[in-house]
Amino acid sequence: MATVEEQKETSATIAEIISDRSKAGRLIQYDEILAQLRERRLLDPPEDDTEKDFEALIEFALHGNKDLREIRGRAGVPFYYSAESLTETYADILCWKADNPLWLIAQVVRDNSQRYPLPVLTDSFREPPFELTEEEIAECLKGLTEEAEYQDIAQTITSIGTRFLYSTRHLDHDHASMLAEWLDVGQMNNP
Amino acid sequence: MSKYGGWAGKVLRVDLSTGRTSTEDTIEKYKDYLGGTGIGYKVIWDEVPAGTGAFDTANKIIFAVGPLAGTGAPCNGRTAITTLWPTCWPRPLVASGHMGGNFAAELKYAGYDAIVIEGKADRPVWLSIVDSKVEIKDARQLWGQGIRRTTVEINQQLGSEASVAAIGQAGENLVPMSVVINSYSHSAGGVGGVMGSKNLKAIGVRGTGSVRIAGNKAEWEKVIKMHLSLLGANNQHVVPNSPQPWAEYYNAGSRWVAAPGRRWGAADPNIDTGICEPHNLNKIAYRTNNAAFFLGERAWQYTIRGNGCTACPIRCHTMLRVPAVAAKYGIRETGQNTCAGMVLGRAFFKKFPDGPKGQTAIEACMIGMHLADDLGIWENYGQLQRDFQALYYNGIFGHKVEQKEFKSYSWDKYEQGDPAFLFELLPRIAHKEGELATALELGTGYLLERWNIPEQEWLENPNLLYWKLGHPKHHANEDAGQCGVIINTQYNRDAQCHSHSNFTRNGLPIDIQKRLATELWGSPDAVDAVMAFAPMNVYKARMAKWSLLRKELHDSLSLCNWMGPWVASPLREREYRGEDSIESLLYSLATGDRKSRRELDQVAERIFLLNRALTIRDMGTKDMRTKHDTVPDWVFADPKDNAAFGKGTIRMDRDDIKLAMDMYYEEMGWDKKTGSPTREAYQRLGLGDVADILSKQGLLA
Repeated sequence: MATVEEQKETSATIAEIISDRSKAGRLIQYDEILAQLRERRLLDPPEDDTEKDFEALIEFALHGNKDLREIRGRAGVPFYYSAESLTETYADILCWKADNPLWLIAQVVRDNSQRYPLPVLTDSFREPPFELTEEEIAECLKGLTEEAEYQDIAQTITSIGTRFLYSTRHLDHDHASMLAEWLDVGQMNNP
Repeated sequence: MSKYGGWAGKVLRVDLSTGRTSTEDTIEKYKDYLGGTGIGYKVIWDEVPAGTGAFDTANKIIFAVGPLAGTGAPCNGRTAITTLWPTCWPRPLVASGHMGGNFAAELKYAGYDAIVIEGKADRPVWLSIVDSKVEIKDARQLWGQGIRRTTVEINQQLGSEASVAAIGQAGENLVPMSVVINSYSHSAGGVGGVMGSKNLKAIGVRGTGSVRIAGNKAEWEKVIKMHLSLLGANNQHVVPNSPQPWAEYYNAGSRWVAAPGRRWGAADPNIDTGICEPHNLNKIAYRTNNAAFFLGERAWQYTIRGNGCTACPIRCHTMLRVPAVAAKYGIRETGQNTCAGMVLGRAFFKKFPDGPKGQTAIEACMIGMHLADDLGIWENYGQLQRDFQALYYNGIFGHKVEQKEFKSYSWDKYEQGDPAFLFELLPRIAHKEGELATALELGTGYLLERWNIPEQEWLENPNLLYWKLGHPKHHANEDAGQCGVIINTQYNRDAQCHSHSNFTRNGLPIDIQKRLATELWGSPDAVDAVMAFAPMNVYKARMAKWSLLRKELHDSLSLCNWMGPWVASPLREREYRGEDSIESLLYSLATGDRKSRRELDQVAERIFLLNRALTIRDMGTKDMRTKHDTVPDWVFADPKDNAAFGKGTIRMDRDDIKLAMDMYYEEMGWDKKTGSPTREAYQRLGLGDVADILSKQGLLA
């Protein structure tokens, strides 16, 4: 069993590992922190009790560093980040991205449709932080129409042929298509 | 030393008929009107009689700046140019154009708050101002030259730091649709012909003085830093347009386009705009790239850098280098402008072979800037191009123009989206060559009259965006529902007001916009989500009044209403609040004349009221509601015939807009029946003498 001093030292290292990853614009997973601690020889080699100890250390680090956050994906896998470097919005996107591209697209579209409300330019998923390939996006567009849990994600095409996505939970078709036209054409003609 | 800081203290008078120049004391005569449009309206009210024509010798043109011009206050580079407006149809009425650049600061450093140009020179002249040395110089060697060459030649005489505001051939030829431009790309539309009518080719100004700040210097620095911290990107969009690690919100409609990987590709070495975290004030200029926003992703590779006005870190003009245009069209490979000026060339065409954001469209923009910014042609916020498309595709050119002339244009090139067509069209507009160009250069109202086209056709067409008096809408119902409609009824040209649209387009989620709206105008119901407009309420009328007064305040202080107001910010720790008192804080410290936000808004209201009084006087009617504050029919229609207040429409309801005008007039303290200010309204704002004059003419409500 580690001493209190050792616990504090390890907890500070955990905070540092999480913060460093956040400064690079990324989340860090439970296993990655564990591996880094082992690399630094701050945790014993795998034994039955090590994981329990580690969970306690993570708890200790989160409790002692108010900027650190835990976020869980759909499967319940925890990710960690520092709110000093990443916002909750950005962390959510990274968490969705770690799940699968379909889920990422659907969640981003739902979030935009509800929050602003605005549809989302399909091509924007090629850019950071999404960074999907054209092929992946095309595959996702097919998947969105086929899978039951994504039936609220709909498409609209503007007068110059640009594809946008929206969620029918938050936007009806006429509204979404006018907003897409506004983003793609209207704003350019109304500078 | 003057009691007040901020103001230079003198207004320069130049009588071109006599060649006499003189000065007046700014404080004594114009302090109650601040500067900018305030001085402009006051001069026109006092000195230019009703019935004067825009190109009459009796018309005057006032270049005026405000007490914040040339200081360290952010976004202070605006010069207001006020005159009787040549494209205002069916009669010229008072209006103003606004140019950025460096002219405003140089004028202050030379010791002047305004230049009042009167009379008419007997030969082409230009005005040279080097501090207190003012000379009317022979411009015969410049007459016939474009704006660029004129600027270069005057800069060679006055030095490279001088600012030169010049007209091109369009202004010389009394083209109503013409501009004056300083610093090569900073234009004020509509006034080029007025300068031309006075044989005034240019004003070159060089100042070596400074602007005194009357208040506590530490406090001044603190307010400046606070103001800088509140800035967003172009048009005060306060969130980035793509997800960023630091950003709680992002919005695809935002003009904050910087992001890792988005590079100024024509800079050497090229520059990654990167993560522009809002507390990093040294990177504010990276946030905006209006070429990328308006022309598409391809424009990044052609971007050299941003450019802009004195003391403005936003840099809303983008400098581009497009090597292909030199080889293909024999023009300079560099160009710079923003918004409507940048897309001037593209907007003439219905389609391009590679789409509206392809290479050909960019080349059309480059040719448009090359020609229009040298010839000095004004596009009237896109109305020129919308008119052109409608007149061509509806076959009207074919009927109104003789066949020989009609066939002299390469319409096949035009239809195919070949930018070379602009070389045939724009020079003819500037030189009034032929019937087609002559009609176009008049501006919409006079064009329709010349060709016997009922204005009603334009009022009903939703694609033309025409509003009234020969001018289009400018951020109307599409941006802010009834508030936008009210604002667009108030001026004698396109409204040019951004107070409302810079709020509704700021990129924040609608729930945050509503929270801020509650603090500013009393209720979350003051604003609606875009294209989901709710019926009128009094809070929207308050927002409209606030928007108009802030516009006049900015135009009089020399703050930029294209960038402000700053009532929202990118700062999460402020819960995205901006500062509604920034103008009064800056004004009080700069001038030493302490005024609260409310007191300064009253001055703005006085200035706005004088504009209203001038319009009433020159129209000769007090029935503004039905004769002036009109709304085009297209506002009450929808392409899918969706009802007003549904989601996905910008359609307004006629009865609701009547209610909106009622509420607005009530907020202003004006007569609801006529839309005219009452004697009480004039007196409350210190304009009792104006009320007396209007009363004698039967023009008081």
